[in-house]
Amino acid sequence: MLYVDGINAGYGRALVLHDVSLKLKEGEMAFIVGRNGAGKTTLLKTICGLMKPSRGSITYRGENTRGVAPEKLARRGVRFVAQDKKVFSNLTVRSNIELAAYAAGEDMPAAIKKVTSIYPDLQRFMDNKAGGLSGGQREILLIGRALVGNPRLFLIDEPTEGLAAIVIEDIFRILSRMKQDNVSALIVEQNLSVVSRLADRIFIMKEGKIIREISEKSEMAETSALESYL
Amino acid sequence: MSPLNPDTSLSRICATKRTTIYRDMVLMAAGFLALIPLLAMHRVTDFMIFCIFVMSFDLLYGYMGRLSFGQMLYLGTGVYVSTLFSLHFNPNPILSLMAGVVGGAIVAGILGLIVVGLEGASFALTNLAFNQVGFFLIGSAFQKVTQGEDGISAGVEPWGFLDLANEHVAFGFVLLCLLFTFYMLRILTSSPYGIIIRSIKENETRVKFLGYNTFFYKWLTFVLAGAFAALAGTLYTLYVGFVSPVFIHPMNNVDVIFAALIGGAGNLFGAIIGGVLFMAMKDTLSTHIPQWEWILGLLLLVIVFWLRGGVTGLIKSLRDFLRARMSRGPVAEVKKG
Repeated sequence: MLYVDGINAGYGRALVLHDVSLKLKEGEMAFIVGRNGAGKTTLLKTICGLMKPSRGSITYRGENTRGVAPEKLARRGVRFVAQDKKVFSNLTVRSNIELAAYAAGEDMPAAIKKVTSIYPDLQRFMDNKAGGLSGGQREILLIGRALVGNPRLFLIDEPTEGLAAIVIEDIFRILSRMKQDNVSALIVEQNLSVVSRLADRIFIMKEGKIIREISEKSEMAETSALESYL
Repeated sequence: MSPLNPDTSLSRICATKRTTIYRDMVLMAAGFLALIPLLAMHRVTDFMIFCIFVMSFDLLYGYMGRLSFGQMLYLGTGVYVSTLFSLHFNPNPILSLMAGVVGGAIVAGILGLIVVGLEGASFALTNLAFNQVGFFLIGSAFQKVTQGEDGISAGVEPWGFLDLANEHVAFGFVLLCLLFTFYMLRILTSSPYGIIIRSIKENETRVKFLGYNTFFYKWLTFVLAGAFAALAGTLYTLYVGFVSPVFIHPMNNVDVIFAALIGGAGNLFGAIIGGVLFMAMKDTLSTHIPQWEWILGLLLLVIVFWLRGGVTGLIKSLRDFLRARMSRGPVAEVKKG
């Protein structure tokens, strides 16, 4: 599904990622954990086309996508959900979904059904400005919007960051359902309870490098061991 | 996969409350007719042409969030292309109008390829620079064709009932063009295209993440804004019959920016109200006060600090306030009881 091979990337001359490589199989939900500044967000931004790696290659579904523009990757099914929970705040919730539906060529009733199926409460806010939603509702709207169309790979950056425990459970439930549906996802997450329950694979990042890859369920369950990397 | 599904676009346009648009158009026409006893008919006609120009600017600035200091270039292109067309090709007013609009759209289409990739101050100033170049070309470089500062008379002749030298005919024709512009822009801005350009205003990168080619939508908006500005320009040609470089002067961009801010950007009613108020103030103040521009400057400060949404924003705030008060009223009474 996704093969990142030895990429270097950064901001101007400041290199953030150093020789990063990872593989994600079809239908696999993998998590990236690591301390702040480890390069987790930069890695997602590079995979989704927002940043161009100075070295290495990115292969998505057999195609080299190094330097391919984000809009082209989006049309090939790559969905990036950024960390800042920014929706189109001046548009209604419905228009936020419509925007995704038009891009994906999906009809509106189907798109709305897809979004409300993961969080029925959103139906109540359809005609409200999205800017009025809570942080958790915004995150859910962003994930729901990413589900519209024919997504093949999700890149989600810290979906539970700054959210209340009850909302984190909602997000966990949504991610669990995505996992049951065998979606492929690469998720940056610091909440180890969420990570250990959902991960098929964990990549641990430190100082711009992947220093460890865990695929054994028994190792993933030991959250105390993982905590040392945060 | 098309970035804009034609079926859903069409359904969205059909779903737009057309009756509301028709009602608004009738109200608008009635409003301009009501102005005639207060002002002279020819002034109301001038106001309406300016309102078309303000709407064109608002599409670019209010809806897509791109402030241009060069919209006069497209008005001027419309003015000169229609004038030269009427002189050298055909005096028919409709053909001259079409030539002016197409000319404005072509110039916007070519320059748009260069400028729509820019943002903020770079976008505003690059447009200003192109406007300056256009002004120089019209005023100096192509003086033999345009007569430079001396100006040039258009060769438009009456066509059937369409005699624009007749004040009543000109008023009716310009009103029709204004209503057409309003209708087209209302349909466009409430369609998926409208949602996309408003989203570009808010966060262009996120629009790209959804799969949209934002460059195309920005370019299309730039061309449409240029074409409608050129429409206003051609109406000046047809109505005034004499054109000079003042119609392409970069300094006049200030007028359209002021008008959009006074009315409230991102709202076609705001563009109309702003256009009328600006022209009315300009007429009134310039008659009574020699250096009247300073008053406009003060007004701009008031808008920037206290009235960000302009007149339409103020009306909306008052409406929301009254609604909130009315909805609280009965509750308070119940509590008292």
